[in-house]
Formats: sequence, structure tokens, C-alpha cells
Amino acid sequence: MTKTGTRFIHLPFARWLIAEGTILIILSVLWSFESRLAGYSALLGGLIYVIPNAYFAHRMFRFQGARNARLMVGDLFRAESVKLALTAVFFAAVFILMEPVHAPALLFTFAVMVVLSSALRWFIQPQTQR
Amino acid sequence: MEMVFIAASIIIGLGALATGIGFGLLGGKLLESTARQPEMANQLQTKTFIMAGLLDAVPMIGVGIAMYLIFVVAG
Repeated sequence: MTKTGTRFIHLPFARWLIAEGTILIILSVLWSFESRLAGYSALLGGLIYVIPNAYFAHRMFRFQGARNARLMVGDLFRAESVKLALTAVFFAAVFILMEPVHAPALLFTFAVMVVLSSALRWFIQPQTQR
Repeated sequence: MEMVFIAASIIIGLGALATGIGFGLLGGKLLESTARQPEMANQLQTKTFIMAGLLDAVPMIGVGIAMYLIFVVAG
């Protein structure tokens, strides 16, 4: 039920992941000038955002079209709940399992990825195709 | 030390409340607009996706800071 009529939304997953990965690697390299631990923590901070966000995008576009509007909105709410829960779990896992951790690098990279990814969605928008 | 947990719970709680209100409004408007103009459904879904990214940016950062408070500052 992903198509309604002849039009459907094509998600530019590959372009999003390439752009986010490039930004993440640049930030990690910049942080690694401070220390190797900071670079590694920055990489983890970016991944904590990228993985739940990819799940959110995948889940949100499972249903498309006006006929599936209720299912679409239900999936939007579920995807957002799972995204927030996954983020909290990943943060907890990193802070518990990874010792030591460079917290400023982790949180800064995470915050930058959150802001840049929102802008990225605007510049690389999903396209409606026939 | 207890104040740290209270602070973290307030951050997560208010963030979840604001996200819930925002997503409720966003989803309601999406349903309403799709009912008005069904042919625009795909474009509206794309716009909703972009707005969802802007909407959950601040709560996501709040979750990160709250986890830091719980597991690093208090732990």
C-alpha cells in the first residue's frame, strides 16, 4: 500500500546519508585535532542522531496518499516516539558502556547534526514521481 | 544530587509535552489538509516531514543533555 494511483514519493535516502556522513566525518576530523577520544566521541554523537533519524524517515513514508492519511499520521506519531526513545537509549548506552567519553564533542556534534539535518531535509526534498 | 534527577526529568518531560502538542497539531493539520485536497497528499506529507525535523530538534537536544546529567553528572 505504498502507492496511491500512479504517483508516489521517492525518498532520496542515499543522498541524505551521503550528505550527513560527509558532515559527520568533517566534524569528527575537526574534533580529532583536539584528541583522538574527542574525534571518536564526535563520531558517536553524530551516529546517535543519524540512526534514529533514518528509522523515522523510513517509517514515516511507509504509507502514502490520501486514502492512507490516517495510517500515515499514526505512523508519524509512532515513528517520532520510537525516535526519541532510541535517542535516549543510545545516549544511555554510550555514557554507560564507553569509558571515558568526551562529552562536549559528543553533545556538540549531536546538536550540530540535529540542526544541519533539518536544513538538509529542506535542500534535498523527497520528490513526487509517476 | 537529587536536584540533577529532577532537572533531567523536567527537561525530558517538558520536551515530550511540547513535542506531543506540536505533533498533534501537525498531524491534525495534515489530516485536515489531505481531506480538503486529496491530490496534494504527497506534497503535504513531504512538507510535514520537513516540519517534523524542525519540531523535534530542540527536544532531541534536551534528551541528550538530560542523559548527560543522569549518567555523567549524577553517575
